[in-house]
Amino acid sequence: MSILLPDRPADGAPAPARRLPVPPRPHAGRAGVGLAVVVGLLVAAHVVAIRQTEVSITALIDGWSGITRFLGDAFPPDLTWDTVVRPGIEATITTFWIGLLGTTLSIPLTVVLTVLGARTTTPNAVVYQVARAVMSFLRAVPDIVFALIFVTAVGLGPFPGVLAILLHNAGVMGKLWSEAVEEMDQGPVTALRTTGAKRPQVLAHAVLPTVVPQLIGLLLYRLDVNVRSSLVLGLVGAGGIGFLINKSIKLFQFDEMLTYILIVLVLIVVVDQVSGAVRRRLAR
Amino acid sequence: MAETGAGLRVRGLTKSYGDRHVLHGVDVDVAAGELVTILGANGSGKSTLLRCVIGLERAESGTVLVAGESRTSQPTSVAMVFQKIDLVGRYTALDNVCSGALGRLSGARSLHPRLFPRSLREEAMACLDEVGLADRAHDPVRRLSGGQQQRVAVARALCQRPSVLLADEPVSALDPAAAEQVMGVLARIAHQGLAVLAVLHQPDIARRHSDRILGLRSGRPVFAGAPSEVDLAEVDALYAVPAPRPSEDR
Ligand SMILES: Nc1ncnc2c1ncn2[C@@H]1O[C@H](COP(=O)(O)OP(=O)(O)OP(=O)(O)O)[C@@H](O)[C@H]1O
Ligand SMILES: [Mg+2]
Repeated sequence: MSILLPDRPADGAPAPARRLPVPPRPHAGRAGVGLAVVVGLLVAAHVVAIRQTEVSITALIDGWSGITRFLGDAFPPDLTWDTVVRPGIEATITTFWIGLLGTTLSIPLTVVLTVLGARTTTPNAVVYQVARAVMSFLRAVPDIVFALIFVTAVGLGPFPGVLAILLHNAGVMGKLWSEAVEEMDQGPVTALRTTGAKRPQVLAHAVLPTVVPQLIGLLLYRLDVNVRSSLVLGLVGAGGIGFLINKSIKLFQFDEMLTYILIVLVLIVVVDQVSGAVRRRLAR
Repeated sequence: MAETGAGLRVRGLTKSYGDRHVLHGVDVDVAAGELVTILGANGSGKSTLLRCVIGLERAESGTVLVAGESRTSQPTSVAMVFQKIDLVGRYTALDNVCSGALGRLSGARSLHPRLFPRSLREEAMACLDEVGLADRAHDPVRRLSGGQQQRVAVARALCQRPSVLLADEPVSALDPAAAEQVMGVLARIAHQGLAVLAVLHQPDIARRHSDRILGLRSGRPVFAGAPSEVDLAEVDALYAVPAPRPSEDR
């Protein structure tokens, strides 16, 4: 007791806590000005954005009757097995196949981009910059734009969707993977270099076993995202459930559309849960 | 002192980072069959010296000879054990030890532990046995204790078949018993014919296990000799805080 609290007086009264004046924070005034400028710029940006996107409460109110009519038409969902539910389930499964294949088939390209585009594994600076540029390009072009291009090239159907996801995913996953590779502990890499191991051997025995669990986690996350985007790709003619949703909207069959959306919901929840469970297991 | 022949001979090693001179023409000799330890304060250049010897850093000048020939002409001749134990945690002890031999393997069979030739796996077992861990061959190394992991790292270095073994603070993260065990292994390996050069922060361990002790101060060797020749005051002086010079006051 007396060792822990040497300042406590013998009569047991608590000693007053020691205090020191807090020195003024450097640049305190300037921080306030900076904050005001940032807030001002953000407000201005939002004002311009509202003008440019024609956000309007009155338009929303005017359109309200349309929305209620739409909801009235959609309920109850059309649950006819032969003409709606079964084709809906089949198309949803196709959507899943598009997402799955697009993700899996992008792995070889992603591996190449990762090895060449990670600072710690790239053979030289030029190759590194080229790999980075390719990944940026593939990321910058949305998968729906790739899909539109491939639909024109190879025709309507799921195949252009697979190609679109393959390319866009290689860009995104290449960035995620190469970051995981760059951030890994370099100790085992250095240790293997000193044994005289060559580059492919260092990759195989130090980099790969260290990062593979992370890479698989990121792959599953991308599968999750890609299944959802393959749905959107269906809207532009790349097959699957998106195609049916688009068709039902065009024919004003909103009760059919609602059924499709419910089926999609089931798929997305299942994929999300399964990939989440696998990722949690890997993290352990 | 090492004359010629097998072993390590370092002459005039100089290294600086920008305008900070870390090594000022360091000479070190380690004969085959000898364990030499380097003592020195933090920042005196011990790690830099080892890293220059094995080629992880490029020295500005100086020569590193292994068995009388340039180290660069024989890339697997020098092995190194680090303070932070750099094993692959998911690999088994045996697979980690096998990977020490990668410098002399090539082709597709060198790319996965399952494909390693049986002769290599048997050699790796012998290396594990050398450090007393043959019974843990199939344990993933992340399940071994720090002292056991450091011994696996030593076994991996042995599997490289080096003629020189460097060890940078191999026992700094270990408890006294494990430290004693690892140093015992290093001394035994040395006496079997390797040249072993270890950096230590424990003068008492250095005295007990090494054949010679080298004192490094600000990148310059200040003494060298058998433990019995090195006097305690010299060792203490290595760690003495230098009197602040007026020019360095801020
Ligand atoms: N990559 C680097 N860049 C710049 N300076 C460095 C670098 N590596 C080491 N140094 C400097 O070189 C000097 C010697 O470092 P070194 O790591 O060799 O010391 P050490 O004797 O091993 O110390 P410790 O006992 O702390 O391990 C230090 O002043 C350090 O700041
Ligand atoms: Mg050091």
